[in-house]
Amino acid sequence: MNDYPGKILEVNLSTRSISSRKVEPELIKKYLGGIGLCARILYDEIPSGADPLGEDNVLVFAAGTLVGTPFPTASRTEASAKSPLTGQFGTSNSGAFFGIQLKTAGYDALVIKGKAAEPAYLVINDDEAKILNAGFLWGKECWETVDILEQKHYGAEIALIGPAGENLVRFASIENGRYDGWGRTGLGAVMGSKNLKAVAVKGSRGRNIYDTAAMLEAVKKGQQLIKSASSYMAFTEYGTLNASIPYGKFKATSAHNFTKGTLPDWKDIGGRPIVDKYGSRHVACQSCIIACGHWAEIKEGKYAGLRIKDLEITPVMSFGATVGLDTEAIIKASEICQRYGVDMVSAGGVLGFAIELYKKGILTDEDVGFELDFGDDEAAFKLLHQVINREGIGNILAEGTKRAAEQFEQADRYAIHVKGMEIPFIDPRGRWSTWTLGMLTNIRGGDHLRCRNPVENLRYNDKDEAYMKERFGFKKPMYDRLDMPEELKSKAIDLENDTVDIPEMSKWAEDLINLYNAVGICIRPPVMEKVGPTIIAEACRAFIGIDINAADLMESSERTWNLIKLFNLREGEAVDASKFPRRFYEEDIDGNRLDEAKIQAVLEKYYQARGWDRKTGRPEANTLDRLKLDDLDN
Amino acid sequence: MKRIAVNIEICDGCGVCQLVCSAQKAGQWHPSFSRIIIKRDEEFGLNVPIFCMHCSNPPCETFCVMNLIYKDHDSDLTLRHEDRCIGCRACEIACPFSAAIMDPISEAVVNCDLCGGDPQCVKYCPAGALAFIDISEAADKKRRQTAGLQILEASRKL
Repeated sequence: MNDYPGKILEVNLSTRSISSRKVEPELIKKYLGGIGLCARILYDEIPSGADPLGEDNVLVFAAGTLVGTPFPTASRTEASAKSPLTGQFGTSNSGAFFGIQLKTAGYDALVIKGKAAEPAYLVINDDEAKILNAGFLWGKECWETVDILEQKHYGAEIALIGPAGENLVRFASIENGRYDGWGRTGLGAVMGSKNLKAVAVKGSRGRNIYDTAAMLEAVKKGQQLIKSASSYMAFTEYGTLNASIPYGKFKATSAHNFTKGTLPDWKDIGGRPIVDKYGSRHVACQSCIIACGHWAEIKEGKYAGLRIKDLEITPVMSFGATVGLDTEAIIKASEICQRYGVDMVSAGGVLGFAIELYKKGILTDEDVGFELDFGDDEAAFKLLHQVINREGIGNILAEGTKRAAEQFEQADRYAIHVKGMEIPFIDPRGRWSTWTLGMLTNIRGGDHLRCRNPVENLRYNDKDEAYMKERFGFKKPMYDRLDMPEELKSKAIDLENDTVDIPEMSKWAEDLINLYNAVGICIRPPVMEKVGPTIIAEACRAFIGIDINAADLMESSERTWNLIKLFNLREGEAVDASKFPRRFYEEDIDGNRLDEAKIQAVLEKYYQARGWDRKTGRPEANTLDRLKLDDLDN
Repeated sequence: MKRIAVNIEICDGCGVCQLVCSAQKAGQWHPSFSRIIIKRDEEFGLNVPIFCMHCSNPPCETFCVMNLIYKDHDSDLTLRHEDRCIGCRACEIACPFSAAIMDPISEAVVNCDLCGGDPQCVKYCPAGALAFIDISEAADKKRRQTAGLQILEASRKL
């Protein structure tokens, strides 16, 4: 092995002590890096029942194993802590350039504990790490803070929180520079509770390569694989917005807080026209060959002069569909979220929830102070600022939809969340797929980013009465090229009937995405379609000289997933928590509603595939044995 | 005479060229160990890769107090005797592009040498923003493009 693994930097803000330790090579073999390291550190070091906003919570940033190499899309860093929104494993993944700086400073992970007595920020410059006073930054919005810190610490990459994080809004994000961020599960509030405004990292060390020629070969292969994916061209052109049109067509968007399915002018709002009209040059994260982001600019009208990076499906759906805003207001909403540091999905969910309560008369003029309506951007932004500053009704909404719904009678029907986290843009009533089952089985609650069929085919929407299958929709060559163990492949995909078995595929997809989050590559569809454990193992072997194969990688990923499940159970996840909001079972969209019993049957199958006991929710003893998870303390 | 040409309209700033270069030249991964510098400008939304242009009358050659920088007769490249470099960095400042960079491992200032005629950065550039082409051809393409734009502009006014 070369000088990999690196070190873990541990900072205790209470005692102001800073120390670093070498990562045991065994730990890397078992957990790889990224989310694997996060999971193990959180499981070992957060005391059971700890207050997410208290001193005992631990915040970890861990860059993936391959981050810092030119392996395509290897840029991603996982951030994890106990979530203030769900009370369970909180975790989020971000790209851009933070990871490569952390890696080249010599660290695989940064662990932040305790709570600073006064506002502080952390500066890491290779071996030198300092806790500095952040009094002059506290209260400032993100873009301004980045400007100041970039001047003070030239060349550093900055992770920071905005006013929302400082005010402990439960869905505050940690921003990654100006335009990227660790959005979901409210990690920004964890940073805020620690009085930590920002982390600035600069690394000037190289990372040795075990076998340069083999590594460059793997890079070339990876690039060719991704470029040959069926969705590659569409993604380089329009990025994630590609999904917006089909979901509008299937009536499966979150329109008006999940009451409409789609909006009449959705084609103009929600997709490619945005890129064509407002987008300009592409912009990539470190080592990415897709470059799905765009610079976008509004040239005239109310928001003239507004410039942001990246038009993504999440703000387009959250604000365009859930809140019903028009395109320019969506861009403005993205800017507000980035500047003040809130998660776009949850922010959109909370606004949609509040507007519906207002329209149903549960929230009154007296509660809000002004009129609310779907599509009214000025009212929506006023409310969003109240949430960020915890003023008036915003103070209740800043607790997230689940907690806010407890404050009003009859409101829980309109709170759209799974396990406390607001559901993103996909309405399972409109389209049932591996992707939507993933919202129930997700280790972080109602979320779309930890489970997706690697060969998702957005052209089709075949309804299966039993909820067990979705359409595969590709020919045999796609099946043959899919990097999956043959036995599992034949179980998960039925080529003859052109179907995918949802529970089996869910398990594989979750483990695959978990592997991506551990090695630090992106989950964009062209990557998921082509980059499997085989090529990743090849890259890992060449880079760090570790003896590891595709099966080892998938096992490691499954181990991490199980460990996170154990963490969630320890923190009180209820056995019956995996269920959609009531609205999905009781109200129709386009004549569709979900059948709870059938979905429970699909879950039953999923539990079987995972080797978990449906009655207790726990991984069975032989699953834990097989995954060598027997060295846990409690 | 072949040189690296960059299309900044296409460059998305992914930095693969830098990492491949650092692996080739320094045997380690690090963007700043490479012979390419990418300036990512968020204000203009531009990414500009900067590397040695191999000027025909290079200021770095004039400014090198140790007389280590020379124009190679055969290839017309600007090369240097790195082993005797004292690391004063005068050439880095003298260069109008600041395309000479300090190699942190050898502590010598270095510049792009086109990998002996097979530049690796061009091979791995995923967006196709870098090209290794004859410099007159590159200039000619650019002229055609500019002329085309001007004609288009003029025809709009008609």
